[in-house]
Amino acid sequence: MSRFQAKTNAVLDAELDELRRRLGLRPNQKADLLRELTVLASWVVRQAAEGRSVIARGDDDVRELVHPVIDRIRRANGQGAVSPMPVALDDDEVARLAEILDRGFDPPDALIFSLRRMADQDREPPELTWPDRLG
Amino acid sequence: MATPHIEKLERGHRSLLKGFRNQEGSLVAYLQRFALRHAQKDLLSRTYLAIDEGPGGNRVAGYFSLATVSVERASVGRIPLLSKLPRFPIPGVLLARLAVDERVQGQGLGRYLFEEALGLALQLAMSGPVAFRLFVADAISQEAVGFYEKFGLQRLSSRLPARMVLDIQPLIAEGIGRVRGTRDASS
Repeated sequence: MSRFQAKTNAVLDAELDELRRRLGLRPNQKADLLRELTVLASWVVRQAAEGRSVIARGDDDVRELVHPVIDRIRRANGQGAVSPMPVALDDDEVARLAEILDRGFDPPDALIFSLRRMADQDREPPELTWPDRLG
Repeated sequence: MATPHIEKLERGHRSLLKGFRNQEGSLVAYLQRFALRHAQKDLLSRTYLAIDEGPGGNRVAGYFSLATVSVERASVGRIPLLSKLPRFPIPGVLLARLAVDERVQGQGLGRYLFEEALGLALQLAMSGPVAFRLFVADAISQEAVGFYEKFGLQRLSSRLPARMVLDIQPLIAEGIGRVRGTRDASS
């Protein structure tokens, strides 16, 4: 058996507290919280290390667990370079995307103006005024 | 009055990050806690800072983060119009975050940062080592949706955060993407 202490901050404390509540544990059950989270995290890490994706299926959507740690584990296990981050669209979003791409391009004035500005060699960022600075 | 310049986020900027303020806590937290790690350790995204120099020292006036994405379908069912789409996955560049310090909002910096981000994406699409089709943004509020809509991005769903897209193929095809504005950011 080992003992350890971790320095936390307010954000981490709040996240841990939220997890504890969701897992139905009392404030004095920190060791149980650690045990439960270790079991969950170990499973996720094992799946990633074996090259699997961790997927959450809802009634009509599927979401993949995306986290820098998952990419690191895959890299460490020789599963190639980091692939582009997946962006999963549901059927309605896919239909909307098809409609957008099919409709053709009608750039709004602001975009045309921006593209012209971007091509301007003398383009400069805006001068900023901060409320607490005189100049 | 001062004029900001764009710099790629690096370790040396750390001390500047804690002074950044924005109404959306998640945008502040990302910059202060994850942006550097994602850029240097995890290679997930790259962040660019608008640094404003003034008598009181340098400040981060705004930032944006870019990542490459693979736009995929969450299900495999047949839907109408599918034949009109390129084959999935569709490669894209994601404007993952764009934020302006709340003390200098309304002065045109958001538009400038958007142009820098779009310029980098177009530069990559035209002459980079990989091809991609979509410029994607995630709008976290109705105000952000309105901001991106002004520039031609269209939302894919009515909920928030809203995923929004701009088809960059016509921009490249028409050659409007010959832009200079990215020189500082990409150097």
